[in-house]
Amino acid sequence: MNARTRSTLEFILDHLVWFMLLFVLAIFSALVPNYFQIGIFANIIEASSVLGVMSIGLALVIISGHMDLSVESVAALGAMAVGILFCSAGIGMGITLSPEWLMVPMSLLVAIAVGGSVGALNGFLITKAGMNAFIITLASYIWVRGLVVAVSGGRSAQDLAPAIRWFAIQRFIGLPLTAWIAILCFVGFSLIMAKTPFGRHLIMIGGNETATFRAGIRVKRNLIIAFVLAGSIAGLAGWLLAIRTSGATANLGVGLLFNAFAAVVIGGVSLKGGVGSLPGVYAGVLLLSSINTAINLMGLPANFTQVIHGLLVLAAVLLDTFKQTLRQRLA
Amino acid sequence: MTAPLLVLEDIRKNYGAIEALKGISFSIGRGEVVALLGDNGAGKSTLVKIISGGLEPTSGRMLFEGEEFQAKSPAAAKAAGIETVYQDLSLCTNVDVVANFFMGREITRKFLGIPILDERTMEAEVAKALANAGTRIPSLRANVEHLSGGQRQAIELNRFVHWGGKLVLLDEPFAALGVEQTRRGLDMIRQVASQGIGVIIITHIMQQAFQVADRIVVIRQGVVAGDLPRSNTSPDAVVKMITGETLAGTGPAGGRAQ
Repeated sequence: MNARTRSTLEFILDHLVWFMLLFVLAIFSALVPNYFQIGIFANIIEASSVLGVMSIGLALVIISGHMDLSVESVAALGAMAVGILFCSAGIGMGITLSPEWLMVPMSLLVAIAVGGSVGALNGFLITKAGMNAFIITLASYIWVRGLVVAVSGGRSAQDLAPAIRWFAIQRFIGLPLTAWIAILCFVGFSLIMAKTPFGRHLIMIGGNETATFRAGIRVKRNLIIAFVLAGSIAGLAGWLLAIRTSGATANLGVGLLFNAFAAVVIGGVSLKGGVGSLPGVYAGVLLLSSINTAINLMGLPANFTQVIHGLLVLAAVLLDTFKQTLRQRLA
Repeated sequence: MTAPLLVLEDIRKNYGAIEALKGISFSIGRGEVVALLGDNGAGKSTLVKIISGGLEPTSGRMLFEGEEFQAKSPAAAKAAGIETVYQDLSLCTNVDVVANFFMGREITRKFLGIPILDERTMEAEVAKALANAGTRIPSLRANVEHLSGGQRQAIELNRFVHWGGKLVLLDEPFAALGVEQTRRGLDMIRQVASQGIGVIIITHIMQQAFQVADRIVVIRQGVVAGDLPRSNTSPDAVVKMITGETLAGTGPAGGRAQ
């Protein structure tokens, strides 16, 4: 095998999920009536914004060799906080600020601060107290959801302030601003992971924590920042969720965690840590979203989506193993 | 006689009831190469971890450049100028050669106040450092998992030569190297020492110790069983100290530097 074919193969392996996405889109466009439309593609991107943003935080933590099961509940808490403060019906307090646009940064700040504090607690317990990330974030997954139900009393908040709703309605090049926020997040965090020392350190910590500690990298500090980021990003996802549904309910976003895991794994992130990139995760999110859309268009019962997502995760893991053996043969 | 670079005084380390180190005292001067010898479980690696900040001693005192010093973390030891090459490799196999070489010390340039990795400069520096040492690695952008054991160890060795510092600890650095690479590694150690850097090398191979060291310190069951200039001893005598047939007495603390 010459160097050219090898580098081509490496390229395909590195970006496999993008090729899968293109392949799936091509198949659906050919077979599913009405699939091949700009509007459908815009819808795929739009529908994936909340899941996409949440997957970024999850991916950061998994790449650094840990786990955050709490992102779904944290997003719900962020959405509920925004809902209670800025909704005018239901349990909403209907706070208004003048000028009106001030509510946008305020609500954003609330959601991110709520998420960031849960993330900080997770990070502190995991790194400083040395507890297992899986258990700690499982606990957070449960108690944060409990908190959402408790503060809302099981009721919902409706009619989010129009100034905040504006993000879901206003479009730029055919996409609502919420979708652009998700895209910007992916671009921003992809750059952080690929180009800054912080991102490089997270990847190396995920690869060999002892080595990074010996090399003088402040491992605990970096990990706490990663957890705070995951929490904050989950809060942002909650903010987007509140905007999308124009309010918040106690069971908002239930099941998103498993989709986020699916997207991250399909996107090529190894659950062992140290391997994976955010653009791949975005492709994974888009892949899930395009399959959902196809199922909707074909009029299949929605339950099928879950079956297909499960199979897709299995396929992704199998594919990953296959990729590993192929790479070893290449090296 | 100048003041020694590092003095260890009665370093002890207990793991519960087990005494891994029972009072180690020796010293090393600037530009001196000390070979630390001893059987498996004698406490050599524990000692290295204490000096490099990976472990805290139960009791005892360390003087670094004449001042009391106890590294709380590897980062603190590095900041003070103590570099360590560990027995089990300290590389992240999931990133490339350049990233490993600059681990924790990445070269950056500011863009809008944000530090951005300067990959091109780093790659050029690594290429230069490896070329100087005569190490050939096919691609600096290949992930370390694709490299052989020898290539990995070469990266670690070149890393410490490049960064220098004041004191270098090498814990069995040549375990995975071939004959030629080992010879080059020993040359590298002499070259480093000639720059005034103190080197402590742990090895199992008597021949290597006698090739490179100025002084030989033997540890047996957590105490210093011998501390002798290379010219005053022989491999046979050292083997006897390691196995405990003769006990040459513990070495003096401080003042043995050249």
